[in-house]
Amino acid sequence: VTRRLALLIALAAAWTAGAWFLWQSVIPSSLRLPHVDPHRYFTSAQLHAASSFTSVSDVLWALGIVTEIVVLALYAWRGHRFARESAAGPIGTGMLLGMLGFALVWLAQVPFTVLDLWWQRRHGLSNVGYVTAVLGGWLGLGALFVFLSVALAVVMGLARLLGERWWIAAAPFFVGLALLFAFVSPWLDSTHRLDDPQLRATVARFERIEGVKHTPVVVADVRDTTSLPNAEAEGLGPSRRVVLWDTLVYGPFTERELAVVVAHELGHLARHHIWKDVGWYALFAFPGAWAIARITRRRGGMTQPAAVPLALFVLVVLGLLAMPLENVITRHMEAEADWMALRTTHDPAAAIGLFRGFVPATLEEPSPSTFDYLMLENHPTIAQRIAMALAWKRYAAAQSP
Amino acid sequence: MEAHPIESHPVRLLVEDDLQRSRLTVFFRLLLAIPHLIWITLWTIAIFFVVFVNWFVTLVAGRPAKTLHGWTSAYVRYATHLNAYLYLTANPYPGFTGEEGEYPIDVVLPEPGPQKRWKTLLRLFLAIPALLVATALGGGFGGGFGGGSRHGNTQYSGAFSRGALAATCAILGWFAVLARGRMPKGLRDASAYGVGYGAQTAAYLFLLTDRYPDADPTALLATVESPPQHPVRLVGDADDLRFSRVTVFFRLPLAVPHIVWLLLWGIVTFFAVVANWFVTLFRGTPADGLHGFISRYVRYQLHVYAFLYLVANPFPGFDGAPGRYPIDLVLPARGRQNRWKTGFRIILAIPAILVETALGYGLLIAAIFTWFVALVRGAAPWGLRNYSAYVLRYQAQTNAYVTLLTDAYPHASPLEGAPPPQQELFAVAAA
Repeated sequence: VTRRLALLIALAAAWTAGAWFLWQSVIPSSLRLPHVDPHRYFTSAQLHAASSFTSVSDVLWALGIVTEIVVLALYAWRGHRFARESAAGPIGTGMLLGMLGFALVWLAQVPFTVLDLWWQRRHGLSNVGYVTAVLGGWLGLGALFVFLSVALAVVMGLARLLGERWWIAAAPFFVGLALLFAFVSPWLDSTHRLDDPQLRATVARFERIEGVKHTPVVVADVRDTTSLPNAEAEGLGPSRRVVLWDTLVYGPFTERELAVVVAHELGHLARHHIWKDVGWYALFAFPGAWAIARITRRRGGMTQPAAVPLALFVLVVLGLLAMPLENVITRHMEAEADWMALRTTHDPAAAIGLFRGFVPATLEEPSPSTFDYLMLENHPTIAQRIAMALAWKRYAAAQSP
Repeated sequence: MEAHPIESHPVRLLVEDDLQRSRLTVFFRLLLAIPHLIWITLWTIAIFFVVFVNWFVTLVAGRPAKTLHGWTSAYVRYATHLNAYLYLTANPYPGFTGEEGEYPIDVVLPEPGPQKRWKTLLRLFLAIPALLVATALGGGFGGGFGGGSRHGNTQYSGAFSRGALAATCAILGWFAVLARGRMPKGLRDASAYGVGYGAQTAAYLFLLTDRYPDADPTALLATVESPPQHPVRLVGDADDLRFSRVTVFFRLPLAVPHIVWLLLWGIVTFFAVVANWFVTLFRGTPADGLHGFISRYVRYQLHVYAFLYLVANPFPGFDGAPGRYPIDLVLPARGRQNRWKTGFRIILAIPAILVETALGYGLLIAAIFTWFVALVRGAAPWGLRNYSAYVLRYQAQTNAYVTLLTDAYPHASPLEGAPPPQQELFAVAAA
């Protein structure tokens, strides 16, 4: 018992140390964000539109999640019966059961997917057709199934090899897979060169300032499917780059506001946020895999295909429980990227302009409800981002001689 | 796979062809058929009105008018004779009247009988799947033979614009006949199958019967002698048509991991086949390890295709192990192979690959219709399932030939090969 306790304490200490290391940020610890009244920055009509859009979106999201949990709970209970549809041996049968679980979830969620699409189309946020969305989702299951099959083959193979300790080997494997995916994903999307010479000059300047020279900044054409403005930093080492959606580049934003976006995304790369993402994933992967191994013991462990439906259920529930925590982490990194952008551009007015532009463009609430904030917000709220710009202004003024 | 006995279709194909062909008439076959093509165009225009009137009669009276039925029967029979002539399924020049019993490839058509009114009412829509399958197999009937002019070019749109299988067999058969004076049995059987299915489809569409066309090759070619047994053949439970609706609905995404794995395994197999080619060429016998490895790949490919194209229900394993899947493949043991055949294998395989490609088109159509039927009924349609099994068998034989598992050429006949008499005796003794 003492050895186990010691081991547990050592692991907890290692986990905490890892979390502390990953939590490090350039945002001054003394920084206090001022209170921002949304009515000062947004019209009542804008706030009302965002509120009405979000309220329905949240309900649809919640219904989708409840459906997912219910379907997977039923599947965990009865899903092992589908084993008779397999001639693939234990591992192949496990793969089939895994795929069928998510297939049934997708099927049950189709009504909410369609309703959500209808809601987005009604507000001009999506241009995707209903048939395209449903058929695309059905075909898109193929990619999910490939990943799932590999994952289950590894887990079940390791379980046969290592018994109940499969999770010790499986977790590093999945971390490696996450690293690989983070590395190759930039090459999977179709993009083109940024053709605005002024913005390109700004990019080159910011890359020098933030210490991420020669990072390609490219444009992705998404206007056929959505009107939402967005940008992302992706890749590791030689594959890293910044992707700006054409809805942002050719949208209602000024050159200075676009410069803030570029500085923000370069800030992600400068602060190694993709690496940190994988690091956080590793911190969650070990306890998550251990929990699955423990809980599926009642079904004979992960060597048995019958345990797969239960494993799916546990995986999704754990993911749901971890969601608020994950959102805290991503919000922390996004806030740091915002700080980097302000430090690079020295232009809080442009940042505030950008954030103000997001509300009518995305129908995002500047100050969402607590539920929304906990479960769905992986960025600081618009109000917090404006507050950050105001705080930086004050901070910069205090720092200057 | 053996067929289980089913109620025979009222439209039956009779094959009394001895495979002998006249080189001269085969060489000029298409040109010789021109008078027939003109004649059938005129006949098709006339029969359109006949069928239209007969449709009203059948809808009101519940059975077709005897005279109109007789005219339509003659037309369908004539179209069948002409198809058989064009596709080299038969040798003699056909008559112009569609007389019964006058041609080696003939069709037995039913007497006018009662037909369900709702089937009559919706006949055109109900016939669409069968028409699409007929398009893949061949044996297009009257309407397709219409001569016309577009941009100044005369079109003989019939036989060769539809019927991927029969047309491919005809083209390959044309060369074979010119060389040997004889139509290869496999190609003849395959095109007879296409012609027979076309006749059943025409009979259904033109209200000669309300029985849906049956794509089962064994039933369609009941009067044809089985070919000799091929060393590569399918085994399994032919009567198991049960399908899980859930796995049918998600069949394509569920097959994606297998397709990815098949692709990766295929890359390795390619190099294994190249290595085996050298070994077989110099030693006269494939390498043992490579033969086993490639056999597994070919068997795995069959399992995956059987799952993907809804020939079998369960999710297959990833290892191509024998005896684990309901539709399985018997492959020959490693043995001596003719060095000439090995040296020129890829060139020799071209005709088989062409037939395989033609069959593949029908396989896709069959899978799409089977998907809908299996989703509703929880079972695959017997005829389409057996057609798909025939295609998979031929694909497996072609793959085994190309990958040097055997030097036995793929047999295009839709019929299962019959075991040699001695083997039959053993089977009886064992039973």
